[in-house]
Amino acid sequence: MAPKKIEPKKPEPKRPEPKKEEAPAPAPVPETPKEPELDLKSILLEFTADQIEEFKDAFTLFDETPTGEMKISYAQCGDVLRALGHNPTNADVLTVLGKPKAEDMNTKYLDFETFLPMLQHISRAKNQGTFEDFVEGLRVFDKEGNGTVMGAELRHVLATLGEKMTEDEVDRLMAGQEDANGCINYTSFIKHILSG
Amino acid sequence: MKAAVLIQRWYRQYAARMEMRRRYTWNIFQSMEYADLQDQIKLYNFLGYLMDNFTPSSSERNLISHIFRENEVCRDAEWERYFSYTNIDVPDIYSGPRLTFPLDMDQAADLVEAFKNKQQLHSRYVLQLLLETWKLLRVLPNINRVSTCHSKEITICGDLHGQLEDLLLIFYKNGMPSLEKPYVFNGDYVDRGKDSMEILLILFAFLLVFPGNVYLNRGNHEDHIINLRYGFTKEVLNKYKLHGKRILKLLQKIFSWLPLVTVIDQRVLIVHGGISDTTDLALIARVDRHRYVSSLRPPKKKTPSRTNVYADSERYVEMVICKNRRGSLTFPKPFDARESFQRRSLQDFSSTVARTLEEEFEVRRRQAEFSLSSFSKSHRILSSALSSDSEPESSEFTDTGNDEWKQILDLLWSDPMSHNGCIPNEVRGGGCYWGPDVTEDFLNRHSLQLIIRSHECKQDGYEFCHNRKVLTLFSASNYYEVGSNRGAFIRLGPDLVPYFVQYQATRMTRGLSFPQNVKRTEHTALKILREQLFVHKSDLLSAFQEIDKENMGLICLNDWASAIERVLHLDLPWRVLHPQLVSSTTDGKLDYHGWFRDLALKKPSSEHIEQTMLETLYRHRSTLETIFRIVDTNNSGLITFEDFRQTLKLLSAYLKMEISDEVINELVISTDTNNDGSIDIDEFMEAFRLANTQQCALQSTKTAVAISNRWFTSSKSNKHQSFQQASPKWE
Repeated sequence: MAPKKIEPKKPEPKRPEPKKEEAPAPAPVPETPKEPELDLKSILLEFTADQIEEFKDAFTLFDETPTGEMKISYAQCGDVLRALGHNPTNADVLTVLGKPKAEDMNTKYLDFETFLPMLQHISRAKNQGTFEDFVEGLRVFDKEGNGTVMGAELRHVLATLGEKMTEDEVDRLMAGQEDANGCINYTSFIKHILSG
Repeated sequence: MKAAVLIQRWYRQYAARMEMRRRYTWNIFQSMEYADLQDQIKLYNFLGYLMDNFTPSSSERNLISHIFRENEVCRDAEWERYFSYTNIDVPDIYSGPRLTFPLDMDQAADLVEAFKNKQQLHSRYVLQLLLETWKLLRVLPNINRVSTCHSKEITICGDLHGQLEDLLLIFYKNGMPSLEKPYVFNGDYVDRGKDSMEILLILFAFLLVFPGNVYLNRGNHEDHIINLRYGFTKEVLNKYKLHGKRILKLLQKIFSWLPLVTVIDQRVLIVHGGISDTTDLALIARVDRHRYVSSLRPPKKKTPSRTNVYADSERYVEMVICKNRRGSLTFPKPFDARESFQRRSLQDFSSTVARTLEEEFEVRRRQAEFSLSSFSKSHRILSSALSSDSEPESSEFTDTGNDEWKQILDLLWSDPMSHNGCIPNEVRGGGCYWGPDVTEDFLNRHSLQLIIRSHECKQDGYEFCHNRKVLTLFSASNYYEVGSNRGAFIRLGPDLVPYFVQYQATRMTRGLSFPQNVKRTEHTALKILREQLFVHKSDLLSAFQEIDKENMGLICLNDWASAIERVLHLDLPWRVLHPQLVSSTTDGKLDYHGWFRDLALKKPSSEHIEQTMLETLYRHRSTLETIFRIVDTNNSGLITFEDFRQTLKLLSAYLKMEISDEVINELVISTDTNNDGSIDIDEFMEAFRLANTQQCALQSTKTAVAISNRWFTSSKSNKHQSFQQASPKWE
């Protein structure tokens, strides 16, 4: 299990809960600063030295440059943020990266110093999604009210709504979850996701 | 809708965490391999130590020459008789393939099928097949030249390492070798996996059936001394109890006759390891490759007559001593005596060995009053003892031989690096690390456009580097552990653009989902890592105590991580790993004594001394085992009391740790469960396996308990001092 950092959750209105905010990329989030660059520079780092060492270790794991330059591509930024225990949406990640173009994702790199303020920013987001929230959300699909949802339906939803998942991703997620009838017991499913 | 988004976000986090675990698991395996290679170097160092610092008494000299000499001294003409298979009877109940020569395609296919069904080829046919192979290989050139004319696609495979499943998978996906389907195999067919013999038999069978369409390169593991260390020798002796020794000897010759390099269309070079800045294909084409039997055995050259021995010997001895003092030719840095055995390389070995035993004694007799130090005297004895007796002619070691030697080592052992330049490969102890500029230069000089090599495990089975001019190809999937990596092979058509096929032998993983796979691989990696931590407990303890000056028994995580890195040198993300290795912390501080207890021996002991001894032996267990197997010349799996005793004494001298005769004797007695005056090597090594339980512990055989008891009773406080100073020289 990746180490979960215990951060004081600042209930700032800076990051409105995406749960209430359906945000396919174009919809602007009103309270998000419009100039992420400036914003990054002004972020005060509140991590301890120990924590920073830990982040560095994780960052290095994702460094794929041939000479080990301590850089990751824009495309990997989301992964590293998440590996460190947060779960920004893809939109969040793009924002923090400064809304790069699609072709930049694999060609542009960022180093550790640039990454830290992004991490700090993301970490301040309110922790969205408790177990109950999930269950509530999935209960919507529970047509028979028996604690299961149709796997096929869930797949469809995950692949077409929100921040769409690819077929591959859905397969990976659902691997081993569906029973013989194609149903998923969603309480155990959620536990499965939350436990990583 | 909101549920969907929620799930998506959480899934992505889950996926990212999986990815991180997968990555550090991979890092752990790679660094374990690195540590293992260091182990190999330890073996060489130990052997080197023996050669350098040894003043033999009569009994010890027997052991040393025993270790190094080979039993058979045959002339070429006698080999056929030695390898004769004609009087080996095949019993009627044998249900495996019965080969008739010359082989044809159907027989080769049947052989594959038989091995798929877990059958074993009878030793008679093994010997026959190997003899035919040997005959064929002797007429092949050092450099295979292949062409893609007739629009043929050539299939190229990398390391297989005894993993028959992968070879079968390749044949399944790609078809077996045939006139329409040429194959190139790039070395390392044996060691580590459990079906090395079967792989060799299949490859050789196809080579015999389609000699113009199957090309085999030699890898660094096609080497009988390496095989002693990495499991092939053991495999053969287990499968062929009666004739194994002869089979191994024949394989030794075959390995030395394997071609070194394959070139396709004069544009693509295929070689197992790589190149160096001095690699010269013209020179490679000219060498007598079969003289380079093993990375540890130097080439031999004929001298005009034996009568010149006396006159030459003085010069020779000086030359040898000078060479040794100057250091190896590959590693020009001079090193002093203390460092010498640590910086030793394969090249060093070759520069210190040359003479036959008889010649050496002759010299010694004549030079009884020669005023050399005991250093060089023992040196000569050992150097002579190390020589292989496969050719009875006396020999002189020349610089030309040394050049060729280096060229071959570079071909078989080198690895690419990202920086420019060419430096000695000190991780492996042979060959070099070569940079993109060397690649560029080499390709230009030889009018080539691509180098395909193997030798390194890659997670996706292949990897480009040096601006896509060098391709690493690795065909053994699940190499470190089930699920650790994919294997790959490539097809090359006339356009010389590689087409990749990746695979993973999934028989064991069928039904496991990706996350389960990751978890399982991770579990193994962490187990191995814990083992390493246990083995270094004393060093870690000292490091922690150094930091924890007030002796509170607590250490903060950051210090813990940096201490571990300092001691183990494994370059792993310790902070990321700590939740897996440390069960609990209080206020962010770790109670390290408690942590050690979790890693400790089943019989928890606070005796620092005993722990050091056990740890050291455990750390060097593979070296110990290899030496035992070398000593066990008739491959019975047993060694005598005396040899066992001598080996331990030598090791203890090397490690500067006292193991008294009394202790050794008691150890010998406690291990000899057969009560017949000999020690079962496997049984002894059993004592050194850590049990796979929640608390890592030595298996509680009576041996282990006996060992700890012996050491405990013999290493009382008056000997405390000497043990405390026993710093493991190899770390």
